Amino acid sequence: MVRKTLGAFAALALVSGAASVSGYEAGPVSGGGTIAGQVKFQGSPPAPKPLEVTKDKEVCGVTPKHDESLLVGPQGGLKNAVVFLTNVSKGKPFASAKPVLDQKGCQYIPHVFLTPAGATVDIANDDGILHNIHTYSKKNPPVNRAQPKFKKVIQEKFSQPEIFEVRCDAHGWMQAWVVVQDHPYYAVTDEGGNYKLTDVPPGEYELKVWHEKLGEKVQKVSIQGGQTATVNFELAAK
Amino acid sequence: MRRAEWDDEQRSYSAIFLVGVGLLLAGALWSIWDDNISRRPWKKYQAQFFQLQIDRARHAVLDEERRLAADPEYQRVLRDLSAAAKKLASGETARELERLRKALEQQKVRTSELDLDLRIVKSRIEEAWYEYDHAILTGRPAEKARAHLEELEKERDGLAAALQESEKKEAEIQAQISTVEAEAGRLEKQKEAMEAELRRLRQRLAGLTLSVGPFQFPKVPRIEQVVLGEFDRGNFDTPLNRVDRCHSCHAAIDKPGFEDQPNPLKTHPHLDLLSHHPVDKFGCTPCHGGQGAAVNSARQAHGEERFWDQPLRRGEMVQASCIQCHRDTRGLAHADVVARGQTLFEELGCHGCHLTEGYENLEKVGPSLRRIAAKADPSWLVRWVESPPRYRPRTRMPDFLFNREQAIAVAAYLLDSSRPESEQWLSRHPEPEGVDPGDPELVAEGRQLVETLGCRGCHGLDAGESPASLGANKDIAPNLSAVAEKTTPRWIYHWLRSPRDYSPVARMPNLRLTDREAKAIASYLATRGAPKAEPAAVARLADPAAIETGKSLVRKYGCFGCHDIPGMENESRVGVELSAFGSKTLEELFFGNHTDIPYTWEDWTYHKLRDPRTYATERIEQQMPNFHLEDPDIRALRVFLKSRADEKIPEKYMADANERGRRILAGRRLVHRYNCTGCHVIEGRGGDIRAFYAEQPTMAPPILNGEGAKVQSDWLFGFLKEPVPLRPWLQVRMPTFGFSDREATILVEYFAALDHVETPFVHIVSAEVPPENIEAGRLLASKEYFDCFSCHQRGGQKPEGPPEGWAPDLALARQRLQPDWILRWLRDPQAVQPGTKMPSFFPGGPEDVLGGDEDLQIRALRDYIMSLGEPRALLARGPSQGEGNRGGAPGAAAAAN
Repeated sequence: MVRKTLGAFAALALVSGAASVSGYEAGPVSGGGTIAGQVKFQGSPPAPKPLEVTKDKEVCGVTPKHDESLLVGPQGGLKNAVVFLTNVSKGKPFASAKPVLDQKGCQYIPHVFLTPAGATVDIANDDGILHNIHTYSKKNPPVNRAQPKFKKVIQEKFSQPEIFEVRCDAHGWMQAWVVVQDHPYYAVTDEGGNYKLTDVPPGEYELKVWHEKLGEKVQKVSIQGGQTATVNFELAAK
Repeated sequence: MRRAEWDDEQRSYSAIFLVGVGLLLAGALWSIWDDNISRRPWKKYQAQFFQLQIDRARHAVLDEERRLAADPEYQRVLRDLSAAAKKLASGETARELERLRKALEQQKVRTSELDLDLRIVKSRIEEAWYEYDHAILTGRPAEKARAHLEELEKERDGLAAALQESEKKEAEIQAQISTVEAEAGRLEKQKEAMEAELRRLRQRLAGLTLSVGPFQFPKVPRIEQVVLGEFDRGNFDTPLNRVDRCHSCHAAIDKPGFEDQPNPLKTHPHLDLLSHHPVDKFGCTPCHGGQGAAVNSARQAHGEERFWDQPLRRGEMVQASCIQCHRDTRGLAHADVVARGQTLFEELGCHGCHLTEGYENLEKVGPSLRRIAAKADPSWLVRWVESPPRYRPRTRMPDFLFNREQAIAVAAYLLDSSRPESEQWLSRHPEPEGVDPGDPELVAEGRQLVETLGCRGCHGLDAGESPASLGANKDIAPNLSAVAEKTTPRWIYHWLRSPRDYSPVARMPNLRLTDREAKAIASYLATRGAPKAEPAAVARLADPAAIETGKSLVRKYGCFGCHDIPGMENESRVGVELSAFGSKTLEELFFGNHTDIPYTWEDWTYHKLRDPRTYATERIEQQMPNFHLEDPDIRALRVFLKSRADEKIPEKYMADANERGRRILAGRRLVHRYNCTGCHVIEGRGGDIRAFYAEQPTMAPPILNGEGAKVQSDWLFGFLKEPVPLRPWLQVRMPTFGFSDREATILVEYFAALDHVETPFVHIVSAEVPPENIEAGRLLASKEYFDCFSCHQRGGQKPEGPPEGWAPDLALARQRLQPDWILRWLRDPQAVQPGTKMPSFFPGGPEDVLGGDEDLQIRALRDYIMSLGEPRALLARGPSQGEGNRGGAPGAAAAAN
């Protein structure tokens, strides 16, 4: 019987990702609504600073690098902001695609990386040189693992929802953010600052935007089945 | 007369006898009652405790029974088991089993018969052998005996084979039985496993009661006692045993689970302490005081009697006991108050005025005043002596409550007595050129240096900033926000260049500043505050009468207890001895005119520390200065003072009365003296400067937990004497403290002792390291694999990129690191130093090196790293040049600044 329970539990965990840990209940959503909108930068956008490649130039210096911490599009759209619901307890399951954090040309791709809590993350090293994954997490135990040339892919798991920084100690400029999600209603804004959350069960929610440089903002949103609620944010330099 | 005698004979005494017998009986009954009940309060408590234990154990059994009854799995096993048993006991199976059992029985009989026969034959062989042997020795014909022997041996072999056969058959039948019974046996085992907890609980319950036939009774209460052999000393210093009977009442003290009970049936609140101090070895009174042998009443047992010297220590006062066995309480669990008191006592310099056993030879805590005239602004000195906290609220210097006249006199004497040495020093240290507080660029550079070099490990820069605190309201090192009011840019410059040059006992280390750096810092510090001249006071400093008065004040108040003062080298301490202060009785404490302070040692001491002259009267003068202590510090010092007791703990009960304990104590004192913990975390404490590196923890000074296990002792000794930069990415700079050989040795021994390193020296014989290890290590370290030199320096060969991305020079490892430590480090760097930049490479070693065996890979890497600093070059050059090459690689020595 114990074995049966375990089996059922494992099956459940498979279905819902490990997000079941935080109390999120995943299941099919019918008649959900959509939240879409744009995150804008308030003020005059700074030009992204070029990063100096000081090491392993034959691999890292092939493409020019820019500071990705504040990227603003032509219409003021803010890239790499994370928009997410803070108080959703039930809804759609996580997408089945396996999250991959790539190190390519001594740059993390993507710069803001979403992953479900408890999911196995593939960390790829396409560069053929030594990198290391050094996380500055608080809730998850910090990780500092080497990924030498011969390790094309390593696996890591983050079990607690949290947003934290990742750095490579071998290449000081390499930096990214990991967003460990407790549910799938998270989106990262594109070049135009646009985002979209689909299949949101009808109800009242709090929608939060987070940006590494500009901080956070919260808005309330009400979702009706089959309709699209538009929520725009504006963030100003702190 | 006769008549009277007759009367006596006739008179009946029965009434008197009756009364007498009654009285006797009552007396006897009373004495039994008194002896067994009213003077034995502990019986009641113990009986209560036994009952409580039995009730709980019984409840636990019932709960477990209920749990099993409700467990469907257990019920299923029970059902299956009874079904299986039924099946075995009926029908064909039962008959089969019966047959097998009988067969087994017969086979067993057969086996034992054969066994017996075999033994008999063996004895007979012994006999026959003797006959044969004897025949040969005595020269008689031996053929017959020989034949007999051989016959017997044949018989033995036959029997042995038969026995083996029979045993085999027996096992076969047994196996058949087992097969039939298998199901039941498996279920029986399952049932037993499920009932394990219940059995344990039942056994526990049975252990708590006395069984007489079918009846069970609680145990009979009795005196529980611990004898501490030769713990006390008699009047003639004769060793005496101490008897503790405390747990006759405090029956639950070392038993978990009774935390919710009222005293005396409560569990000790810190069971972890009891695991280090088991009750049956240490008893209770060594920590808690009281009268361990008394059992007639709680008041007597607690020693709260007029003439019992050691009443129960309550609350934080218990901690006074810790330091009576642990010479050093810092870092001890549950000893925070006394540890704080100990540090305050040492660092406030109490020992300067008060002789205290164990603290006689500590250094003076204040700066030397031999050259004070070369340093201090005279106006400032007067103001300072008058009231130190007015200039620097968090100073350690106490307030002597001098009036203006007295302050001028003391300053006059200090300046006068230090004049000759000061002038000599000044003549050798001219006004530096290029120190300019008006040059904003230089000042900004100075500020930048002060903020990055590590000055803030000890000094606060802005008013109120206090990186390294002592107690609640004291600074370890002076706050620098108004330093220009106190001294001159000239003095600051020379002091920065070499503090020991100004004062050989300076605690301030040498930061190996360049001339430019020292000038920049001096310029910056010269902008912090400004001199405030007081011509009227200064005019009087040369007055011989004032100097004379000052001299007698310095002598009276004992300034030399903390400061080195010319002409006062042979003075003795001005305060009373405190070696046995904790044992002072109320008769020995003078309460002055106070009627508002309760008559207890604790209250007297508290008020003395809060206001040291509070017990002064018109006739009794008091001299102790006011340290302006805050409540927690006063209480901590009070606990420490309580520990200074008459009675000394015998050596065998001392916790750290061994070499290791002595080394740690000596090391900690040095660590405090030089405030190593301002920058470094040592023993998990300190690292105050890290507050400024919250964003970039890798730029903070290294954490030294486990340093003794990490580095080689001779390297550490050399490094302490003459630091070389190991981490080129750090802006913060390890200063040169100018440790004497003795001090450096104490520190090396301290780190080794902390990590239980018993053999501090390492010698690597290169010839014994397998060359294939070094080759494999070289391969692993190469760009194809771990690419170690992507970050690590290797002698003069620097990694690519800016220095903040670099890691220590691996060519230094051979001289610097313990070989075993490198193995632990490579295995899991984060476990050795949480937060380190060094990533873990294991697990994750390559499959194609050393067969993918990670332990071998780690060893190979270690051997390779150790080979990097191999003095091959030295051998080529000949031994005469090799001696000085401590850095191991030519680049390392050159990098020292």
